[in-house]
Amino acid sequence: MPDILRTIQLSKSIGGKELVKNVNIHVKKGEIYGFLGPNGAGKTTVMKMITNLWKPTEGSVELFGEKLTPKSYEVLKRMGSIIEFPCFYEHMSGKDNLRLHCEYMGYYAPGSVENALEMLELSDAAENPVKSYSLGMKQRLGIARAILCKPELLILDEPTNGLDPAGMKHLRDLFKMLCTEYGITVVISSHMLSEVESIADTIGIIHHGEMMKEISIKEIAEMNTVYIDLSVEDVKKAAYILSDKLKLGNFKIVDEQNIRIYDSRITAKEISKELSLNDVGISSIGRQSESLEDYFLKITGEGAN
Amino acid sequence: MWKLIKLEWKKNNIMKYVRNAAIVTAVLLVFVISMAGELEMTASAEGNGKALLNVTVGLFVHMSYIVFTGVMLASFVVGAYEKKTMNLMFSYPISRHKILLSKVFAVWIFNFIAMVVSKSVIFGALLLTRPLTHITTGIRFGSLSFWMEILVESAAMVSISYISLPIGLAMKSSKAAIVASVIIVCFTQGNIGSFTLMNNLFFYAVLFVTAIFSVYLAVRNVEVKDLL
Repeated sequence: MPDILRTIQLSKSIGGKELVKNVNIHVKKGEIYGFLGPNGAGKTTVMKMITNLWKPTEGSVELFGEKLTPKSYEVLKRMGSIIEFPCFYEHMSGKDNLRLHCEYMGYYAPGSVENALEMLELSDAAENPVKSYSLGMKQRLGIARAILCKPELLILDEPTNGLDPAGMKHLRDLFKMLCTEYGITVVISSHMLSEVESIADTIGIIHHGEMMKEISIKEIAEMNTVYIDLSVEDVKKAAYILSDKLKLGNFKIVDEQNIRIYDSRITAKEISKELSLNDVGISSIGRQSESLEDYFLKITGEGAN
Repeated sequence: MWKLIKLEWKKNNIMKYVRNAAIVTAVLLVFVISMAGELEMTASAEGNGKALLNVTVGLFVHMSYIVFTGVMLASFVVGAYEKKTMNLMFSYPISRHKILLSKVFAVWIFNFIAMVVSKSVIFGALLLTRPLTHITTGIRFGSLSFWMEILVESAAMVSISYISLPIGLAMKSSKAAIVASVIIVCFTQGNIGSFTLMNNLFFYAVLFVTAIFSVYLAVRNVEVKDLL
């Protein structure tokens, strides 16, 4: 599958401060790409350069196989985006804002405005001025505007900001549907990993302005991500038994009660038996899968803090 | 470009400005008519009734529309940066130069037409009310030079107001743009004792060139500039 979006050694400095450095992103056509990073990691900076709002200090962006230049206006027709927070002409209605967007984009498909409003469950408020909308409604209207002209690529910077859990779920379903039914490629940035975990095909992790890892969700699942979570009364004694009696080396004491065992050769039953024989009280024991959150924390080193 | 200008008027609620321009015209008309007696007395004493009336009407209309243009520039251009709607505009498949120029022209065209209409309405009303006010108007609606004077003066005054644009943009403040336009009024329409720059053509030529340079400054690097 060809890359629809690629950044090559993308860097940006402002006032001598390096915001992002040598970022390489590869987004395949038709996938959902989760762009993850803690607040201030450089996600928005990269997205601003992808949408041509900011110009790179070094490196380049390739969209649809073409290098992005300050005069690449035509590629903007093929993209929909929300960067930071969506802005509107507040005195105009939601519907009129979308109509205006169509005029500027040169997109005149009949019924498209109504469809977009319906998809984002905004039909009832369509005629109301945007200034009367809640934060969540504005966010949804922003997404309606981004998808309105049937773009090939959607760039969404923290699109679920201000939405309640039901609203977030609705959007996740919508992004999946846009990807599978319309073949739209979606790049979605977030610092909320659970939001991306269930829908992304690939994730890119950025930290302190540098790309730490780009990996498919499938690859994460295939990696050594299964462990046994053990909760005991005496963690020191349990650790001694694990290392001396069971000869396990790959485990971590999480806190005063919990131990995480990464060694795949041993079963929970065997551990349970040995601990019982040595009079170590077990509160709970079970096999777990490493979540994207664990992986993210491991990559960024945030878990150590 | 014309389509972009019309879209600017639409999204900036141009009818609000039409209403405000009508109110300004009505207030100025009442003000000038209320001064008719005093103007007539001064005119009789100095023997220049026609010029005095033209100057008085011109002064008030110019003052009003220089500020009006400044207010509109603050809203259409500076405000678009402040409210971040410029980010949205620059995400459209349209040259940034074109986008900015459409805003600049949308304000210019509106204010030029509004100023010409305001002057025409005020002069027309003075002519119609002459039997009541007995004012010596000297207004010649049939004369080409009369209309040429109105058109050229209006174009010059609206253009001069654009000096406020780079000030508002540099300070990232709509208020700064409006204050700058008020200062322009003081410079161009005010006087200290008998000294005034109102009739100094060289001064106006310099301001006009400065205004064009101001627009150039506003759009100069827009294609490669980051939207902060």
